[in-house]
Amino acid sequence: MKQRNITILTDLAMITCIVQRGNGDRIVASARDAGAQGATIYYARGSGVRERLGMLGVTVEVEKEVVQIIVSNDQLDTVFNSVYLAGNFDTPGMGFMYVVPLAKAATYIPQEVLAKFRQ
Amino acid sequence: MTQQIRYGDFQRRCDVEQEQISYNRLTPVVKTDNSGKIIPHIHPPIVLRPLDVYRLLKNYTSPRFMDQFRSVVPLAIYLVLFQIFILRELITDSWVITGGLLLVIVGLMLFMEGLRLGLMPFGEIIGNTLPRKSTLPVVLVIAFLLGVGVTFAEPAIGALKAVGSIIQVEKAPVLYALLNDWSMALVLVVGGGVGLAAILGTLRFLYAWSLKPLIYYSVIPGLMLSAAALMHPEVSKVLGLAWDCGGVTTGPVTVPLVLSLGIGIAASAGKGDNPMSGFGIVTLASVFPVIGVISLGFVVAFTTTPAEIIAAAKLAASAASAAPAWYEESPGLDAVLGVRAILPLVLFLFLVLRVVLKEPIRNGGMLTYGIILAIAGMITFNIGLTYGLAKLGSQSGSLVPAAFMKINEVAQSPLYAYGIGLTLAVLFAWFLGFGATLAEPALNALGDTVQNLTNGVFKKSLLMYAVSFGVAFGIAIGLLKLILDLPIFWMLLPGYVLALVLTYFSTEEFVNIAWDSAGVTTGPITVPLVLAMGLGFGNVTGVIEGFGILTMASVCPIISVMMTGLWVRYRASQQSNESLSSSLETAAL
Repeated sequence: MKQRNITILTDLAMITCIVQRGNGDRIVASARDAGAQGATIYYARGSGVRERLGMLGVTVEVEKEVVQIIVSNDQLDTVFNSVYLAGNFDTPGMGFMYVVPLAKAATYIPQEVLAKFRQ
Repeated sequence: MTQQIRYGDFQRRCDVEQEQISYNRLTPVVKTDNSGKIIPHIHPPIVLRPLDVYRLLKNYTSPRFMDQFRSVVPLAIYLVLFQIFILRELITDSWVITGGLLLVIVGLMLFMEGLRLGLMPFGEIIGNTLPRKSTLPVVLVIAFLLGVGVTFAEPAIGALKAVGSIIQVEKAPVLYALLNDWSMALVLVVGGGVGLAAILGTLRFLYAWSLKPLIYYSVIPGLMLSAAALMHPEVSKVLGLAWDCGGVTTGPVTVPLVLSLGIGIAASAGKGDNPMSGFGIVTLASVFPVIGVISLGFVVAFTTTPAEIIAAAKLAASAASAAPAWYEESPGLDAVLGVRAILPLVLFLFLVLRVVLKEPIRNGGMLTYGIILAIAGMITFNIGLTYGLAKLGSQSGSLVPAAFMKINEVAQSPLYAYGIGLTLAVLFAWFLGFGATLAEPALNALGDTVQNLTNGVFKKSLLMYAVSFGVAFGIAIGLLKLILDLPIFWMLLPGYVLALVLTYFSTEEFVNIAWDSAGVTTGPITVPLVLAMGLGFGNVTGVIEGFGILTMASVCPIISVMMTGLWVRYRASQQSNESLSSSLETAAL
């Protein structure tokens, strides 16, 4: 029997965006255009800015989507900028985004890509 | 000499100007009072740039607008293209109709948002707290009253009332009386039927009753009452209206509000675990009103004579020749109707919340906003209905017969040989039904639910196509009924008998899905359009009334969905047999 081995990925970061419900798809699309592999979305509730907008507060959905995108450190800035612009984060009520570094990760890596690294 | 630059830094310079600010400088310094307690910090309101306002509003309105746009516009385009290419007739008043359709879209958008923000929270709070704070009889009484209230608020009911004026009093006096002098009673009876359905549905939630006996006990009396009505020359003309009412009642207001109440009750009684219990109310709410309306027809027939009704109608007609007040004329009438539809429901919900439950109203501003939106939406929708959907529908309806018979409006009619023209008209109805149903957002939601509940055995697309095929055949058959002037009873009897037989053989799950899909499909766009079309059609071909299309459009999907359900189960059992026998063979080898 051949020994199974684990490939560990390093130099990653996670971008987390909290946006209004329904806007998550736009965030994911822009992240993918900027080279991100994929994203995880989950639902949440939250408010803060909404109460300070007065009448226009009704336009801000209390239900939120939390989009998590894992990127390499090299592509981090490209994806971050792309998502920021697509999500209109410079408008109040449109959401919040932040980046945390990840120590290590693992997932499926195609065999031919692995072979290239082993040479 | 070489210089090293990180690629990321290079990109940052090229892409977007960035600046860094320490968050420490943005967060407020919280002050403490003398005893060291924190003085609550008050966040200042945010000043918006015009761009921000635009972005917020766009983000808010565009998906909601598109939802309604997608369900209205394809239908309108289909009608217009059919009229131009097949009937070779231009749309008259095309600008008025376009404006009306736009109003319908905007009205529906406002109304749905208002419903979500202003009415649904009431339903949820009441559903959650009512069973804990009061006894079962009180709960049932409130469920009943809610059923009556939501019927008034249903947008499609307005369409039903509007078509009453088209019927000629001499031909069907009782029907005319029901839709004019007795229209309030008619809506009350329909509402009573929905209320009764709400009671039974709630009991079903609590005691996990099977839907099958409930269907037998409500559909069979309905059919028997219809047979009795057939004996009476005047009441028999009401049958089409009566069975159509069933489809009309279960719209975008009734279903979610009554459901949220029922689910709340079931959840607090600890019996909300049956995923199927959410179904069934819609079914009952579309059968009970039928019985009510036929009974009302009998009451009218026995209390007044046709001659009296005709005399009264003539009197009213001569009185009406004087200029009507602003509130009796469109658009004033539409506004009055809109307010009258929503306000009683809101008042009732408010009273239940404050007087019966003694709950405080939370988030009052948002609720008020929602209610204002719902009323504004209802008014806009009503106006759009009059000038857009109903106008377009009745125009197409009155022109389609030109394909096979001589009518005065179209110069070269009949445009085609009788057989070809008739086929064209029926095909027109078939595709209209198919498209309208496939576009109905409620069907999409039902498809998702069904796919989840059946663990993917019943695919969403399969259900959507089964229902759409059913409705398409239903509308086509209904149109044939109008053309050939067939008696409605002899069309709905075999339909419902077949549905009952299939119900007997189907599993509980598919019975629930099938009977509910009928009610779900007849939404606020399909109903006015089909009603107006049928009436315009009936006017030209000279039949007494243009009802009955919706009836057939409700029966046929029941049959088609249950047949599909039986087929899916048959296929599944065959496959498991095959895999069993093949595994046996391999074992034998």
